[in-house]
This record gives sequence, C-alpha cells and structure tokens, in this order.
Amino acid sequence: MSNLRTEEFDINMGPHHPSTHGVCRLLLTMDGEKVVKVVPYIGYLHRAIEKICENRTYAMCIPILDRFEYVTAMSCNYVFSLAAERLSGIEVPERAEYLRVIMLELNRIASHLIFFGTTAMDIGALTPFLYALREREYIMDLFEMTCGQRLTYNYIRVGGVSKDIPNEFTPKCRETVATISDKVEEYKRLLNGNPIWKMRTIGVGKLDADLALAYGVSGPILRASGVDYDLRRDDPYSIYDRFDYNIPIYQNGDVYDRYMIRLDEIQESCKIVAQALDQIEDGPIRAKVSPNFKPAAGETYTRIENSRGEMGVYLVSDGTKKPFRVKARGGSYPHLQLLPEIATNCMIADLVAIFASFDVILPEVDR
Amino acid sequence: MNNEELKAYIESHYGSQLTYNEAGKYDLLFEVDASNLVTVCEKLKNDSELLFDYFCNLSGADTTERFEAIYNLASTKKKIRLDIKVILPHENPVVNSVQTIWPAANWYEREMWELYGIHINNHDNLTRFLLHDEWDEGFPMRKDWDAPDFIRFPDL
Repeated sequence: MSNLRTEEFDINMGPHHPSTHGVCRLLLTMDGEKVVKVVPYIGYLHRAIEKICENRTYAMCIPILDRFEYVTAMSCNYVFSLAAERLSGIEVPERAEYLRVIMLELNRIASHLIFFGTTAMDIGALTPFLYALREREYIMDLFEMTCGQRLTYNYIRVGGVSKDIPNEFTPKCRETVATISDKVEEYKRLLNGNPIWKMRTIGVGKLDADLALAYGVSGPILRASGVDYDLRRDDPYSIYDRFDYNIPIYQNGDVYDRYMIRLDEIQESCKIVAQALDQIEDGPIRAKVSPNFKPAAGETYTRIENSRGEMGVYLVSDGTKKPFRVKARGGSYPHLQLLPEIATNCMIADLVAIFASFDVILPEVDR
Repeated sequence: MNNEELKAYIESHYGSQLTYNEAGKYDLLFEVDASNLVTVCEKLKNDSELLFDYFCNLSGADTTERFEAIYNLASTKKKIRLDIKVILPHENPVVNSVQTIWPAANWYEREMWELYGIHINNHDNLTRFLLHDEWDEGFPMRKDWDAPDFIRFPDL
C-alpha cells in the first residue's frame, strides 16, 4: 500500500461548510485524506463595524458592537462600556456591577454550551447538541426576561445597565445555575467514557504552551495548554475579586482538554452567579450619563476574559461625542491564524475536530 | 509591578528609545521611533524583568496629519501591560514587521496594511483578506475615505 502513487490536490472547505460555524473558506492541499497544507481565507462577513462606530455616538456604538461577537454579546457591550468608563472616569454603582457579572457569566455558560453541542456534533455525536441547546434555552429565557432580547442585548450601557432584573429573575436564575451545574456532570458521563469520543479527541491537535503564547492564543485554549492566565484574575476588572472560584488548568493541549476545560468553566461560572445572587443588594443601576456624553480625550486598550479568549477594545476619544477610533479585538482572530500551524499533516476528519475545539466564530474574526 | 514602578523601570532602562505619552489613560503608553521599533520590541520581550511574551493587539489610526500604529503588549508571567505607539508620516507610511518576535502580529499587520495603507517591511504575506481580492478603491479606514453609498450621520 505504501508505494501506491498519490497525487496532491486542492480542495475548498467552505465558505458554507457546516463545521466552519459561519462563513470561512479553508483552502486545503490534500494527499489522499491527509491534509498537507491549510490556508484560511476570511472576510466573507466583514461588515466594517469599526468604520461604522467612528460615525456614531458612544450609546449608538453598543448595539453595533453586539454584532461583533453575537454568541457572547454581553461581553461586547461590557468591554466597550468599560473602555468608555475608563476614559471618562465614571463610577459604576455597586448593584450594576453585580448585574453585569451575573449577565457576563450567564453568557459565558451559554457560549460554552454552544461549544459543547457543536463540537460534539462536528465530531459525530448529535445528542449532546440537543441537550446543550435545551439547557441554553433557560439562560436565553433569563435574558429575555431582563432586557427583551435573546441574542443581541444592548443591556450593559456606559455607566451601568439598561434595566433592573424583574422579581422572578432571582429564583429562576438560582434554579437554572443549579440545574446546569448538575447537567454538566451528566454531559461528562455521556461523553468522557465513550471510546469513540476518546479516540477522536485525545492526542489530536496538540498545542504546546510556547506556540500558543507566540501566536497570541488566549482564554480556555491557552489554559488547556498549561498556561495559567485568566484576565479576571491577572488583569482585574469589575468585582471578580469578591467571588470564590477556581480557574481550571489542563496540561495536554489536545482537543479533549480543550473540551474538558470548558465544561469545568461552566461549573465555575455557575458558582460565581450563585455567589453574586447572594451578595447583590438594592441600589441604583446606572450612573448619571448623558446619551451624548463626551469622554475626555485619551486612549485605552481595555480587555476582558471572554468565553473565546481575550476580548479587547482599543478606544480613542478626541473629546467629541463620537469615538475617534474603535478597534475590536476578538479571541478567534489569532486562533484561526494558528490553525495552519497545528492542522498540517493531520487527517481531514481531525481538522474538523481541531477547528471545532478552537470554537472560532467568524463574525468576530471578520468584524 | 504596578504602573508607577513599571514607568520608572522603563524610563531608567529604555529612556533613550521610549518616551512617555500621557494620552494613555489606564495602562502606560510610550512612543517609539519607527526605526527603533524592532530592536526595542525584542528587548522588551527578552528583558527578564518585563517578559512581554504576549501580543494582544495592533491597531492603526489615522489622525489626518499622520498615521499611528499602536502595539498592545502583555506579559503572562509578570502580569503587566504596556502600549507602544509608532508615529508615521501621512505620505508613504512604512513600519517594520514584528512577526519574528511575535508570530501573532502577522495577521494584524496584514489588516493594517489592507485597511490603512501602511506598508509593512519584511512581512511574508501581504495579501488582501478582509476586502475582496480585486479591491482598488483605496484604504477604507482612512478618515478621508467614504463609501460611494455611505450617508454620513448628521451632527446632533
């Protein structure tokens, strides 16, 4: 068999391939089923978000940036608001900080549930997708109850949040995080012992810590490679120092570890939400900020820990009511850039598993 | 290391190449000459007190009189952050690539070249990827560029 003559050929995976989670084209050079070369082509979803933001007031930028990374739109709202607050020195009321943390962590759980479902589906197991979306629906209900939206919230505003939570939110939220924390154990029982799942994930797409750092990899993928770096603790923002939670670390950096670390993070986020619900007190939810507010001239690069890694906004204000420059940095951008480094010389089925384990979302890459 | 200590350290060790800029509001911002960029970045990465091993972001900016390139760096070991700004002329802006120091810079530089028209020296793959391949209508992130069907939002 080994001296069978094979000929390399090019094949387009995408732009509309189901496993690319958006619109991304991978130009593959194949030798049989082996991938010899991968070249990612992006830009199919480029909407010029940064240019549009330069022509809007700060309040109008937030719903635009919702579309930057729509799976965790709360983070997009938050990172932009935080940058504007840092420029203008606005103090956010205590209750608003708690509401923000609750929403950010619920959104992280929802995003990791999507990851869990779609990764399992890409690798060939359909059931986890149905389970994950069922649990995610509870979180969507909570968001809908609070701000009326299920995907693009426009909830976190400069100076606070747009609305207070309704009375029925707190008991329902407690119940939801308790349920999801239990369900994660069920997910682990469902997949972790499955020999097919193990063969498809353990040792596949290994990423070592040095390569990950060199390529600017962040978030769960970096921590799955053994680098202990979480911006909630290492570049502190908001009130995360008031909660007791762990930051899971895995060492192997393969698809299996990247999957395990996200399931663990769901449980840690559940802990944070439960503690925040215990600690939250009544009070104002928004500082007094004019809709046409003008931050002081200056610039800042603000970053937070999103479910897909570091999410940052480079914001320049020239003292007028429109931002002078908004640059949105998403976690998926460097992850997709890294893909050719670790996907070369793997099988095409493993390429799908690696791509899925990176949890790349293309609107965040293209902006 | 907090911001004051970091500022004192950089001013004592890199004072000849990096000048402090007070426009940076939360993290420290330093300016560097375009000709010194690569050597300074290399030192910042290998300095055992700083270890800027993590490349967060690179953004271009157009002030209509000049171009700016802003490098946001972080250290995962020392838990510190630093911004570096390079000021470029509005005519023929050129900056050297830092991808030999941080391979992550590759796509960010490519994007800056594509959207701002800032040329990158020693870059291995300067090709379009956000805009379509046949794009020849200038550099869309420049302040003097407007799309033909774009309606500017009125001043409130």
